[in-house]
Amino acid sequence: MSRNVRLACALLAALYFTGGASAHDGAHAAKSAAPTGPSSAFAFPLPEPGSYRLPPIRAAAGGDVLTEEGKSADLAELLNGRITVFSFIYTRCADICPIATMQLAELRELARRIPGVSERMQLASMSFDPDHDTAPVMAEYADNWRDAGEESPQWLFLTAPDQAALRPVLDAYGQAIAPDPEAAGRLNHILRVFLIDEAGVVRNIYSMDFLDPQLVLGDIRTLIGDRVRTD
Amino acid sequence: MARFILAARKDSPRLSGHLPVVDRRQRRASFPTLKQERNVLQMKKNSRRPLGLVLLAGAATVALSATAVLADETCISPYMPKITGHEDFVYVWTLGVEGLGDGWDKLVTVDARTGKVIDSDSVGSRNEAHHGGFTDDRRQFWAAGLDTSQMFVFDVATDPANPKLVKTIDDFVEKSGGAVGPHGAYALPGRMMIPALSNKDGTGRTALVEYSNEGDFIATHWLPTAEEAKDVPGGEFADGYGYDARVLPRKNVMLTSSFTGRENYMRPFGEVAGDAEAMKKFGNSMIIWDFHARTPKKVFNVPGVPLEVRWAWGETAAHAFTSTALTSKIWLVYEDDKGEWQAEEVADIGDPSKLPIPVDISLSADDKTLFANTFMDGMTRVFDVSDPHHPKQVYEKKIGEQVNMVSQSWDGERLYYTSSLLANWDKTGDANEQFLKAYSWNGKELASRFEVDFTKEELGRPHMMSFGAASLYAN
Repeated sequence: MSRNVRLACALLAALYFTGGASAHDGAHAAKSAAPTGPSSAFAFPLPEPGSYRLPPIRAAAGGDVLTEEGKSADLAELLNGRITVFSFIYTRCADICPIATMQLAELRELARRIPGVSERMQLASMSFDPDHDTAPVMAEYADNWRDAGEESPQWLFLTAPDQAALRPVLDAYGQAIAPDPEAAGRLNHILRVFLIDEAGVVRNIYSMDFLDPQLVLGDIRTLIGDRVRTD
Repeated sequence: MARFILAARKDSPRLSGHLPVVDRRQRRASFPTLKQERNVLQMKKNSRRPLGLVLLAGAATVALSATAVLADETCISPYMPKITGHEDFVYVWTLGVEGLGDGWDKLVTVDARTGKVIDSDSVGSRNEAHHGGFTDDRRQFWAAGLDTSQMFVFDVATDPANPKLVKTIDDFVEKSGGAVGPHGAYALPGRMMIPALSNKDGTGRTALVEYSNEGDFIATHWLPTAEEAKDVPGGEFADGYGYDARVLPRKNVMLTSSFTGRENYMRPFGEVAGDAEAMKKFGNSMIIWDFHARTPKKVFNVPGVPLEVRWAWGETAAHAFTSTALTSKIWLVYEDDKGEWQAEEVADIGDPSKLPIPVDISLSADDKTLFANTFMDGMTRVFDVSDPHHPKQVYEKKIGEQVNMVSQSWDGERLYYTSSLLANWDKTGDANEQFLKAYSWNGKELASRFEVDFTKEELGRPHMMSFGAASLYAN
């Protein structure tokens, strides 16, 4: 994560989250008490990675997508072989999507520090607004969130070639969207972020309530079977 | 420190306008206004600064223009969109009555303004219709059958005035590993949590069962017995019974309550009440869970069948109410100053010695008012719960010869009541009134708005109510 974005995350956290219980409890808190991002405001103890199950929910669907370089790809192939944190966004969104993306940037930063995790996972953010969010737009959007970060997990920014290709993907993931009748270019939607294992099976689905980078990282480590604490 | 409270729209229910929960202590956040969004976009366009900094400025704009939060739907999963204006429809999950109309269980749609029945979708069978709930995107309504363990999935998004049965889930017992009697359906992200009441043996040992929104089984979590919970604080009180299950995301906790098994709930209540052994087979426990791990954290002894769980909505609130059917009490479950979860009996409901049988309760969106129904005397009682440790009854009204469910609008101005408890527990003869009654509430008293006679309309026994709005799905 770039210094500026990191600073912004910290300040955003200060804006978003109030005092009181400002950190996870116990040992987890000691590592997240510093105001490094919104995760510092999730105020409950996290279960130990590997101490709980993440039962399979369903197969993660594929579909025709475009990478930010404009190359055609099958989403299923992109999801295969790594644990993926997969989100639907659109770049003109001014509330849920950037906040969720900020959380994912924080997750990426956390994962970078943990040997054996970074190379086994990736992030994938796909636009559901292909009319506006072309591959070049996604590339520009990616630049806002993704720095080179040595050993950082891969982060794909995807879009659909057109609405016809997008529809079956949204249907498969149950991602409902609707144009906002009061604001041109805006889309009403709910936030769903999917944790997909290396075999392409959805293992968890997050709303904003649980899109805590530390919690998602715990889930990833649960999938990996890694009980090693961050430090 | 500034709090991120986004401007809320008062009158327009929207698909996503009330979902984002930026702060888990702020569950009623809504969208920024268009003006605020333009601020953000304009800054991005004119600047090459990283988006994070642009967002920071945008967030500051929003924070500075923060408004007070609006009332919310009061008994709904926190994971789904909320209707902040006037509801258009009341969906009533209704038990079929043999010889009345088509005799089948059905989802009845009532115009929430006129009281007219505008749609009725039968499922073609009688299943002891009981509770249900929307998926997190509010596009489907899942309705449960206690007798047959079937779940009926209605599409309410395509035409909210005319829901359609689109799927029947009939593998609940098999896939869950023997759980029986799905009681309701509670939205989680992309999935439904279905608390059951019983098992294949008909006793009260039961489970929480998760299904994906697509209707596929995910997991079963059995309510622990005392032996299984021996390492959990209060584990000696665990009895394996189940009823309600509701989540407070901000604290990562789920609270469950306990009822009885199929051997009791499908039997005439008079028989059960006269059977000393049967009366021992009711739940006396509540459990607070680590929600993410789905593991019990603490078990409470709550004698007399704790039923509905209602979490307070306040942005710093950490308490829930329940009522006990056989002991007629209001119980408070709360997190104390030390971060420990506690359970405390805080008030009587009516005269417990007369066994009024508290059933449904509804907590207002501002957490100040609790409506509590009692089945036997057909009363609704209103408690001031501003001090949750000391509820005070401030009003009461007889709704009918029998009453069960109560649902409250988001703005707290309208309440709806239905009459049926269970097919074999409802009163008989002239006392067997079956109705949906709508009232307005001015903070002091209820005033009748309309009534639907479900017997006269040949619909059946009305039970669970949920609200709908066409503008949730407007393009």
